[in-house]
Amino acid sequence: MIGEVPRRTPSGPLATQLRVIGALIMRELLTRFGRSRTGYFWLLAEPMMLAISISSLHVLSGHDLPNGLPTFWFYAMGYTPFVMFRSIVNRGANVIDANMSLLYHRNITLLDLSIARNMMEAVVCSTIILLFMTVAALFFDEWPHRPALFFLGLIESALLAHGFAMLLASLEVFYEPVERFVHPITYMLMPISATFYMLSSLPYEAREAMLWNPIVHVHEMNRWAMFGDRIVPYYDISYVWLWIIGLNLLGMAGLRAARPRLTMME
Amino acid sequence: MLELENVWKVFETRQGRKEVLRGAYARIRKGEHVGILGRNGAGKSTLMRVLAGVERPTRGRVRCSMSMSWPIGKSFGIQSSLTGEANARFIARVYGTPVQETVDFVEDFAELGPYFREPVRTYSSGMTSRLLMALSFSVDFECYLVDEALSTGDARFADKCRAALDLRRADAGILLVSHNAQHVKKYCDTAAILRNGMLEFYEDVDEAIAAYQGL
Repeated sequence: MIGEVPRRTPSGPLATQLRVIGALIMRELLTRFGRSRTGYFWLLAEPMMLAISISSLHVLSGHDLPNGLPTFWFYAMGYTPFVMFRSIVNRGANVIDANMSLLYHRNITLLDLSIARNMMEAVVCSTIILLFMTVAALFFDEWPHRPALFFLGLIESALLAHGFAMLLASLEVFYEPVERFVHPITYMLMPISATFYMLSSLPYEAREAMLWNPIVHVHEMNRWAMFGDRIVPYYDISYVWLWIIGLNLLGMAGLRAARPRLTMME
Repeated sequence: MLELENVWKVFETRQGRKEVLRGAYARIRKGEHVGILGRNGAGKSTLMRVLAGVERPTRGRVRCSMSMSWPIGKSFGIQSSLTGEANARFIARVYGTPVQETVDFVEDFAELGPYFREPVRTYSSGMTSRLLMALSFSVDFECYLVDEALSTGDARFADKCRAALDLRRADAGILLVSHNAQHVKKYCDTAAILRNGMLEFYEDVDEAIAAYQGL
């Protein structure tokens, strides 16, 4: 009646972790989009509407940009990468609460959950950005100056957000009210992240102060990668990677420290 | 082998510290069928989570050298927004069993009919526990940690679970945590009572049940 039971094939720790992350990504896809095709549509349409309306507002407000930079694309390509950063942090900081029940499976770690969740978000947002880029190139003759560098910028931005999200998620375990600050923090980061303006239009002191923020470097680099020499960018890639490594190490250590403190409520 | 050594679990509540486990000892060998009896509020669920290794004890040590299932009970480890089938795929990927084989096994064992392809939140509690048992049996654990899940299915399904365990009695053990003496008698060879946050082991199930009912 019962017959043979499926047998596990033995695998090393890395293979196991990759398999678990794969399973979590599949699950995230299924739960977030439901099983209908409109789910996929809305996933892209929602942030897209935001980007289009924000960019259009800037066009309408009649800001003229130097060197004949295209107003709409300038704001769209500046804003969408920030949207990615912000939604990874916002969603990623909530990873423990949202996935508590999965921790009943012992081989699923908080790091696996974070990686799966944040990678999903990064892929979704990058798709939108690539879509924007394609439309700009094909219909408005705005070909990206250095597409590969832009892609690197997106990866850096996602990794910064991933580390920051893990850090916030673990801090929430130690001190619950941290949760209340996540949205305000990401909101306040927008005006100081050179999202809607260029460092070259700022006075020297302001520029130096802004350059403490690693996201500023990423945005400046992305803008140059997109628009080329119509822009005078200020960035230092190694500075960004220093932050990435620091935030990710802190985040991973935080999650590790947080795990034993978790109690599974029913 | 699963060993508990002076295991304490203390929760900070608004009413102050609550000691749920207060120095529990246990030694469970591979392939043993052990029942743990406890009244409501004795700390059965907490003990389960500690045994499963998903929650760390406040003090003491848990050592485990066999592959333990996740705690099988209520709807632990199941995602209610997904279908039975998607859950089976998920379990297969997480535990590394062949995906299609696992899905076939779960579909066959759980007997959910067309509901297998509906979200779990539409299931009755009996159906959920059938799915849960099927999911856990689809992985070749060395010890199944069961929390009353067996009691929600009907008698025929309970027999099926027993047959599944009997089939692999040689290498698969069970740790049944329950308030129901009948279930423990049906599935287990030895039993322990969880009382005052400690475990008392009895060689004989009937002896344990007698002591439990005398409480």
